[in-house]
Amino acid sequence: MNDAISRPSRSQLESKPTRPRVIAFTGAASFLGTNLIGLMQEDERISRIVAIDTEPPPTAGSKTRLYQVDLTQPTAEARLGEILQAERADTLVHLAFLPSPTTATAWAHELESVGTMHALIAAKQARIKKLVLWSQTLLYGAHASNPNFLTEDHPLRATAREPFFGDKIAAESETLKFAQKNPSTQVTILRTAPILGPTVSNFLTRYLARRLVPTLMGFDPLVQFLHEIDAITAFMVAIHRNVAGTFNIVSDGVLPLSTVIRLAGRIAIPVPQPLAEAITRIAWPLQLADAPAGFIRYLRYLFVADGDRARDVLGFVPAYTSRDAVLDFTSAQRLRDVQLLQEASR
Amino acid sequence: MSGSGKGKGLGKAKGQGKAKGQGKAKGKPKPKTAAVAAKKKATGAKKRVPRAPAVATMSIVPPPMPSAAALVEEPFDAAREVHDTQFYLNRWGRVGLRDRAGLHDDFGYDPVWDRRVSPLLNLIYDRYFRVSVEGSEHLPLDGRCLLVANHSGQPPWDGLMLRMAVNRETQRARDLRWLVEDFIVHFPYLGTLATRLGAVRACQENAERLLARGDVLAVFPEGIKGVGKLFKDRYRLQRFGRGGFVKLAIRTRTPIVPVAIVGAEEMNPLLFRIEGASKVLGIPFFPITPGFPLLGPAGLLPAPTKWKISFGEPIDFTSYGLDALDDDVIIGRLSERVRSTIQSMLDRSVAERKSVFFG
Repeated sequence: MNDAISRPSRSQLESKPTRPRVIAFTGAASFLGTNLIGLMQEDERISRIVAIDTEPPPTAGSKTRLYQVDLTQPTAEARLGEILQAERADTLVHLAFLPSPTTATAWAHELESVGTMHALIAAKQARIKKLVLWSQTLLYGAHASNPNFLTEDHPLRATAREPFFGDKIAAESETLKFAQKNPSTQVTILRTAPILGPTVSNFLTRYLARRLVPTLMGFDPLVQFLHEIDAITAFMVAIHRNVAGTFNIVSDGVLPLSTVIRLAGRIAIPVPQPLAEAITRIAWPLQLADAPAGFIRYLRYLFVADGDRARDVLGFVPAYTSRDAVLDFTSAQRLRDVQLLQEASR
Repeated sequence: MSGSGKGKGLGKAKGQGKAKGQGKAKGKPKPKTAAVAAKKKATGAKKRVPRAPAVATMSIVPPPMPSAAALVEEPFDAAREVHDTQFYLNRWGRVGLRDRAGLHDDFGYDPVWDRRVSPLLNLIYDRYFRVSVEGSEHLPLDGRCLLVANHSGQPPWDGLMLRMAVNRETQRARDLRWLVEDFIVHFPYLGTLATRLGAVRACQENAERLLARGDVLAVFPEGIKGVGKLFKDRYRLQRFGRGGFVKLAIRTRTPIVPVAIVGAEEMNPLLFRIEGASKVLGIPFFPITPGFPLLGPAGLLPAPTKWKISFGEPIDFTSYGLDALDDDVIIGRLSERVRSTIQSMLDRSVAERKSVFFG
């Protein structure tokens, strides 16, 4: 595992012998934050880690300074700015996004859309040199008119009525505006494909953990995943490499949804689309569904992204294919199925 | 604490994957075909064993086949057994993956599934449509190539038959992809079926990507207008879109091979088309054929017409620079040139033909 992560970050990357860096993470206790902080802890190029979240990340070590800030509070902006200035952070990795949709949409809006605004203002105050933002290829939206491979130049067309997408699209456009106004700050946006792996937990892993997996009758779209290790690697590469821009971070290879479900050892239950939507409308507020009705079209149309730019410009090469991601998830999920492994962390 | 635990978990998962990979390389040196042949021979003798190697060699997950029995006998190996991919494949996955390897290319083409249905397709090609091919020497041996053909059918069969013709007539059994209209790609079941057999949704991005891979790509510039051609208009080429295929050929410097498909336009004569129903049903028009609404879905089965596919001499647009892309006059003229070439090929083939059903 160490090999897979350190390979691109050590040998290939131009690491200028500058002063040791101070990296701040918002959403530090998230899956990506926890794992990145664990890796940064052992990285000698990093002198200090500033972990900002409502709860401490379990991987925090001696280099880590913990700050409890709730981005949904109006005071967060000033407090975040103070922290970044006091710690003299040069890089801000903004990960405070929800990995799964939630019924608490007002809170999610405060956290994602408004929280990003707070973070950007704080970054401007503290004259952050580099900003890395987590985004997702889900935001391209699943549409009949999508080409088989979406590049970074395609507009984000996910339905803004679904707060999960709307807030994230708003956050990304705020960040792009910030990048235009502040050319001295290097802004890197990583749009990850749905993350799958042995330890990650999100709406997708819950969907695939069901014994009976609902699909749409008559449709079998091609899907694409990103292995969790590759996701972490991509952020490491983005942090250490001086490349600005927006990048799709995806694994190689696509699989039809039916094959994914079979590889995961599950049974697909094809449901007609109107019925699926009606059921989801009732089941989602009752927290019986994994995602709201706006996600159903992702079971019908494809939203596969093209990772060539990340490969050529950013220098990120995925170590796992989509299929590997599914198999790795499956092998861990089996242990969870028979209660030999505890529930995955967030 | 939980961080290190997680790290361990990851390492373990990957280590296992590697070990399995090696196991496959060493333990199963047999080529796939041999395994399949063995499977066929052994079918009578043992019912449970033979299927496993077929699944295992096709999927990337290797087969720790003989250990399955041993594992059951060791009571304390429950964890290892459950952690083994084969355990789940045996239990649930095998039934589903039996006819599918999960080895898809980027556009969803499934070679194993294709091989599985090929006996039926061969029967249709050889016995039903009795396709004859002319001018296959014009197909390039390698490198990218754009086939431009006339389009017809309710639903169209020409892409699939063209694919089989190219596959059979080229020396290295070249693999053709063809671009299809949106409504077919997104039609329930039909879209999945077409995608698995090599159809790709028609759009510039997809076409460029396929040509960049060096594929042979077939396009039907008539598009929906071609599918919606009435019987009285058969073999009269409709407008060729806005010349998107010419721009594609110029931009990617790809030679164009004109193709005339005769026989397809009579297999399911379109008498009327009702355009009002399009929004509700997700189809461009509702077809009225001699059989269709009358006999139900069976009315969409094609008549056994005799097909002839002729490949013309390649047309080279590489002399045109990228500046021609903005010149609508040039694009229109080149598009018209390809169209008239195909039209004359069609006219000749139709004139030579004595009977629709016997050629």
